[in-house]
Amino acid sequence: MEEQIDENLRRVYAQATEEEVPERFLTLLEQLRKQPRKADKTPGGGEGDAS
Amino acid sequence: MSNASDPRDELVQHLPAMRAFALSLARNPATADDLVQDALVKAWDNLDKFEPGSNLRAWLFTILRNTYYSMHRKRRREVEDPEGLHAASMSEKPHHDGRLAMDDFRAAFVQLTDEQREALTLVGAEGFSYEEAAATCGCAVGTIKSRVNRARARLIELMHLDDEGDVVMTDSATLAVLTDKPLA
Repeated sequence: MEEQIDENLRRVYAQATEEEVPERFLTLLEQLRKQPRKADKTPGGGEGDAS
Repeated sequence: MSNASDPRDELVQHLPAMRAFALSLARNPATADDLVQDALVKAWDNLDKFEPGSNLRAWLFTILRNTYYSMHRKRRREVEDPEGLHAASMSEKPHHDGRLAMDDFRAAFVQLTDEQREALTLVGAEGFSYEEAAATCGCAVGTIKSRVNRARARLIELMHLDDEGDVVMTDSATLAVLTDKPLA
């Protein structure tokens, strides 16, 4: 019985992971990238203080 | 520039899993995607705290579930479609010898507690070890094991897989031990 549970669990989960990622997240990542970096460990980053 | 890959570049790879995990928590696709959005922003802002080379997915999942519990969880045990799902689980179903309909499974799954869904998804679907799941959820390994076992038993019960009439593990002592107070 537990195998049936796990099998169904994995199939439902796989269905969710196989969906195409909505544009909103890719857009969000793009926007985040454009922000000036805070507390970067590596020096560099030619942007000045944007805020 | 560091030699290791920048976690910022890796985030996109974890989006499908984040959405799936968020859905298991929020049980509603719109809330789940809002949850992922909030978690992504938080993750980005806190990437300086991420230990390079450590498990990025687990780290992201930790942020996701913390965001869920602090911001998006409305009420305890809220069921998304109480009438429909409840009816589905209460109806007498014949024994399923083969595979179960995924709808049956989903209807039962959303009735588990938050902590049970979370533990079962991490361990059973995502393949986290008990230790990784415990670290992600901020609780003891034994607690995760209980929640996973309890989740499975409850699903079996809800889907009438063990339809002998008696239910599994419902004596009051067990219930008292397994109340779903989050340990944090």
